[in-house]
Amino acid sequence: MDALKRFYPWFALLGLAVGGLVLAGYYKDEFREWKRWQRDYNAQELSRAATPEQKEQARALPVEIRQIVLPGLQRVDRCTTCHLAVEDPGYAGYRQPLAYHPSHAQHPFDKFGCTICHQGQGRATEREAAHGRVAHWEHPMLAMKYIEASCAKCHAATDLPRSPLLARGRALFDEQGCIGCHKLGGFGGNLGPELDRVGAKRSPEWLAKHFKSPAELVTGSSMPPVKRSDADVTALTLFMLGQTGERLTEYYVSMKTIPGPELGQRLFSQKGCIGCHTVGGKGGKVGPPLDDVTKRRAPDWIVKHFRDPASVSPETVMPKYNFTEPEIRALAAFLGSLTGADISAFMKIPSQASPIERGRAVYLKFGCGGCHGANGEGGVPNRNARANQQIPALTAANDVADVFLESFVTEGIPDPAKLDPNGPKPPIYMPAFGDKISEGELADLISYLRSLQPAPNEKP
Amino acid sequence: MKSPKQVWLWFAGTRVGRSIFRVGLPESNLGRMQAMVSSFLLHLHPAKVHRHSLQFSSTLGLGLISLYLFLLLCITGVALMFFYVPSPEHAYDNMKDLEFVVSAGMIARNMHRWSAHLMVLCVFLHMCRVFYTGGYKPPREFNWVVGVGLFVMTLVLSFTGYLLPWDQLAFWAITVGTNIAGYAPVIGKKIQFLLLGGNIVGESALLRFYVLHVVVLPAAVVFMVALHLWRVRKDGGLSRPGEPDVLVPQSETGRLSTNKTYGLMELARGTSPAVGLDPADELPAWPHLVFREVLLFLATMAVVMFLSVFWNAPLEEFANPAHPPNPAKAPWYFLGLQELVAYSAFWGGVVVPALLLVALVALPYLDRERAGVGVWFARERRVAVTLFTLCVVAAVILTVIGTYFRGPNWGWVWPWAASVVVPH
Repeated sequence: MDALKRFYPWFALLGLAVGGLVLAGYYKDEFREWKRWQRDYNAQELSRAATPEQKEQARALPVEIRQIVLPGLQRVDRCTTCHLAVEDPGYAGYRQPLAYHPSHAQHPFDKFGCTICHQGQGRATEREAAHGRVAHWEHPMLAMKYIEASCAKCHAATDLPRSPLLARGRALFDEQGCIGCHKLGGFGGNLGPELDRVGAKRSPEWLAKHFKSPAELVTGSSMPPVKRSDADVTALTLFMLGQTGERLTEYYVSMKTIPGPELGQRLFSQKGCIGCHTVGGKGGKVGPPLDDVTKRRAPDWIVKHFRDPASVSPETVMPKYNFTEPEIRALAAFLGSLTGADISAFMKIPSQASPIERGRAVYLKFGCGGCHGANGEGGVPNRNARANQQIPALTAANDVADVFLESFVTEGIPDPAKLDPNGPKPPIYMPAFGDKISEGELADLISYLRSLQPAPNEKP
Repeated sequence: MKSPKQVWLWFAGTRVGRSIFRVGLPESNLGRMQAMVSSFLLHLHPAKVHRHSLQFSSTLGLGLISLYLFLLLCITGVALMFFYVPSPEHAYDNMKDLEFVVSAGMIARNMHRWSAHLMVLCVFLHMCRVFYTGGYKPPREFNWVVGVGLFVMTLVLSFTGYLLPWDQLAFWAITVGTNIAGYAPVIGKKIQFLLLGGNIVGESALLRFYVLHVVVLPAAVVFMVALHLWRVRKDGGLSRPGEPDVLVPQSETGRLSTNKTYGLMELARGTSPAVGLDPADELPAWPHLVFREVLLFLATMAVVMFLSVFWNAPLEEFANPAHPPNPAKAPWYFLGLQELVAYSAFWGGVVVPALLLVALVALPYLDRERAGVGVWFARERRVAVTLFTLCVVAAVILTVIGTYFRGPNWGWVWPWAASVVVPH
């Protein structure tokens, strides 16, 4: 039809445009970065193949998405789509993404994947997105400097010989008295925010900067800066990063108890074994001493005995404890480590510590040092408070009767005296510990506080 | 070497070809009419179309573009359904899988997203076109009402789809949007509860929005579109100046009809018998209309593909009820409404939109002026055109303010001064 001829160029143009755009879409969809890495890897495998069979295998290597599906961790990790050689020691020292991942025996890839430790975006198959360095992804890859933080997702910070920074962070957390103002694991003060999920919310850079100058990042923050070395701040940051509040399913929770002597020692004291058995001459006399039990009995006998004592010694009065197999391995390992050691070296028996020592433990437990100083010397600034605008040292306790000291602890001082009567309320105040502290703890704490005051002749 | 036409003619002549196409490639006007009437897809069209209706400037093709976008949405939507589980645990991961591992997954999602936004825009522009050319005047009053219904359904379709990716953008846009519904007196909170299946956006809200989005609303729109198109035909085709048409003696098509007062599939209006007469100035729909429709489809497809290849549909962080963005914004087509709500929840969120909707529905029955049909901005309709334009301009201004000029706590920001959260 002649009348339509004027539209023919339009028809051709639009047809070409749609065709071209469909091709462009196909190109974008088909040619992906990861395919290049897989071809590199396959070529590498082929060049390494020595025998004809190996060559055959290398030629048959597919180019396909690889993923580790982890329902228990609610993850799908596709990192191995590019990082193809993580399990092949032959690739040790190779450049990424084809490098070998050393020492993963305890955390097999098929059970743990990658992102539970390294973070990043497991589902992604493009480099920047997978490494989590894109907008709208909250968990970029954790710098190796902080990698030990991930251990804390499953393990107690003090369990692990191979994460010294994490243990250091935990120790600093206690020492600094953070728990005095912040809750962690449901325990702690109310002055600062809870820390249970802080690792999921904050970046390492933010946390490190915040430790050094809190008020710079949080306007009006009354948290005192942590005056520590950079290494200590890194350790604290790392410990915080480990507090992600992730809930792992049963398989991973059971894996968090490493069946080593440390766990055995904890179980030994928790289950009250010392009530019947002696170690190093201390303890109950109902059962036999345990110092040299691993010399007297075969390992197999000990394991069977823990499973069911009556199965190997029918006359026994020892009850069946229903230990799990990892727990049994841990207890056996612990017994093997004894051989005559002094019990007080590895077990704290509360009744044997002095009231002052116990009081010191209470002081640390409630994080009193966060405001009052690691040894009660005070010094944390509290704007507009009397007494030098600082939180008072506890060495002044000598003028106060026990009953008042106790009431300060149990009821707190919600409205501390001000330097300027019309001035603002000081930002930090003494919280009430009455519903948290037990009577025994309180008495011990008072003993400790008394021990801090100078002897009468030193009185200024 | 045979030309495609020759191949076609050969195939249409075989037994199989004849069983499929009742008429071969038309060679005469009669054949062209028969082609239109005897084909299932083509018989939705009239056999003959008025020259005025064929002109691009009469309609700008907006209704047809809206229909094409709806078809594209149905096709890409079904494709996406194969990869989508409507639950908070899976929905967001499904989006990530579409992007990273599903073949053409991202393109499909992009096409769905951009088509949806374009459809909202085109349906609105189509409504404006019909108003400005007086297309709602008798006998087409009711079809205008059906069209207003389709406009509202388009908005709700887009809105329900907005939640499905289950990211921050989705979660908070739906939270804000359903809160606006909650401002209605007496029934507002009930409607909000009914929509969400609870008091906040959660698992049951996602399921409800999903079912509405993929079953209830598309089915309703298909029915309403069928009704809309059927009424276009029954109301005498597209509105045009000079209705009813001048009748002229039937051309060769007349052989089909000798004793009826209508031409082939076309009402010949008028009071006197119109035996042997046809409306003047009409052309066979094959190929004049069909060719233009194919051209328009190619243009629509080109725009959608262009957007989809170069811009990805947004996906923000996983939905987090504890972390509202500031400001939390509704989808862009509701931002004018949200801006009004910022002034007064009751007046802006309930009274003004309700009045506007009632006014739109009642418009063809209130407007007594009969002149100016088929003409853009007719002189006789100065008052109506001015009033409508004022409403459109107000809606556009409010939407632009809500989109680009509102920052934290709905405070005023200049778009170039600060980073404004623009919902996509």
